Amino acid sequence: MSKVASLFHPKRLNLSGFTNIRVIRDNNKRMAVEQNEPERQALRYMIRNTSLPGRVRAQAQLQLSQMHAYTRPTQVKNRCVASGHARSVIRDFRLNRYQFRMQALAGHLPGVKKASW
Amino acid sequence: MSQTRLLDLVKTQCRIFSLNFNPQRLRLGNKVLRQRLRGPALASWYPKQVVSFQDLQNTYKPLGLTTFDEAEDDREEAIQIAKLRGKGRPKKKRTAAESRSAKKKK
Amino acid sequence: MFAHQTRSLLGAGRNFRVSVPIRSLSTPTQPTAPATTPETVSQPTPTPVAPVAEAASTPETPKTPEVPEQPLETRVKEWSERLGALGSETRLPRSVQAIYMRPLRRKAEYGLPVCDLQLRSYSVENVEFFADFAIRAAYYLNLPVSGPVPLPRIVERWTVPRSNFVHKKSQENFERITLRRLVQIKDGNPKAVQAWLAFLRKHAFYGVGMKANVWEHDSLDVGKSMDESVAEIEKSLAPKLAQFGQRKDNSLGQSIFDTLDSDRFAERKNL
Repeated sequence: MSKVASLFHPKRLNLSGFTNIRVIRDNNKRMAVEQNEPERQALRYMIRNTSLPGRVRAQAQLQLSQMHAYTRPTQVKNRCVASGHARSVIRDFRLNRYQFRMQALAGHLPGVKKASW
Repeated sequence: MSQTRLLDLVKTQCRIFSLNFNPQRLRLGNKVLRQRLRGPALASWYPKQVVSFQDLQNTYKPLGLTTFDEAEDDREEAIQIAKLRGKGRPKKKRTAAESRSAKKKK
Repeated sequence: MFAHQTRSLLGAGRNFRVSVPIRSLSTPTQPTAPATTPETVSQPTPTPVAPVAEAASTPETPKTPEVPEQPLETRVKEWSERLGALGSETRLPRSVQAIYMRPLRRKAEYGLPVCDLQLRSYSVENVEFFADFAIRAAYYLNLPVSGPVPLPRIVERWTVPRSNFVHKKSQENFERITLRRLVQIKDGNPKAVQAWLAFLRKHAFYGVGMKANVWEHDSLDVGKSMDESVAEIEKSLAPKLAQFGQRKDNSLGQSIFDTLDSDRFAERKNL
């Protein structure tokens, strides 16, 4: 079993907006997670089902642990869409706090205003 | 009402609403099956490229029209200049022997 | 319907006449313009404008002071005259006049809610305008309507540091306030409600989101009609249900190990 991450590289990059290698890698992980989610859930179900024979459950555990790391949803990290930064990303806008501030001040985010109360 | 009657009631209830009938409360892992699939939501985080300039070129080429991708032309020109100056990309080492010899030369 | 409102409606029409009928009357003057003296031809634009402004304030001025020496026989009627005549002799169509009034409403007979339309926007003007538009549209579709009910605003706030973390003490607050209006249709025909919703979608206003909950009511014999439709539904679902779940006559006499080692799993493993 090969564990090469390059297997997840798409033939043609279909991202628009800001891209760097970290964004591309994260996107690859997201694609892999989406593709392998049913299988992972099936194995998870088998592991958790105490009515199945122990051997089957152990085998399922083994298979799940042998799946590629990229298929694991915990590998996915929310990154800023406009700068690729991975810290303090505001989920509602998918923007990093700095990008959010700049775009909000420029009026690119509908309805977002400077608040004072 | 007796225990069996109640169990029967729950059983029919489960059958009608297609629930899992599990009076012994065994761990059947059904909560995994009840979970939503998160994949589609995760996969749609980054904006996807819908059309590229290349697509435009490909559509116009069969019609006999010429298109100019200035950014691409600039890039190719820069590569040519770099090659002339001897600053181009080194040749890809295909075999182990080639790469080893390259290292030795150093 | 309008009979008792005629006076006020005419009053409203007079106030807004300046903006509405001028455009419709502007075309007939152009062919007749050369018939007048060359002074007026040389300045075609300022002459109409000045009397219009006058007409808005004093509609009973028959002659303008600029051209008193013109021969009366060939003279084209001045703007002020035309507009004065318009005010006293004619009026705007009732439907147009109604635009300047509060929206008309049908009276609900039973008060049974049929459709809830929620409008959301970040700006008051947009959501108010579109709610008004929706109510007027409902009137002409013969739908009794209640609202617009202002629902609680949704306030979202974010606080971000102005620059690097070192300067965490200097932060900036941002907020986004979503305004909501609820328009409820009462005991309307489901088809009319659908037509209303389609009309609103067609003329959707910028910056206003819409969300509709539609309730359909059936007669008391719902069970009977549902029983009748079961056969048809089962027939259409049969091919899909056949694919679902585990079958007793499982044609694959395999154990779970064979399944796990099968090609389908194996090719996934190689990823």
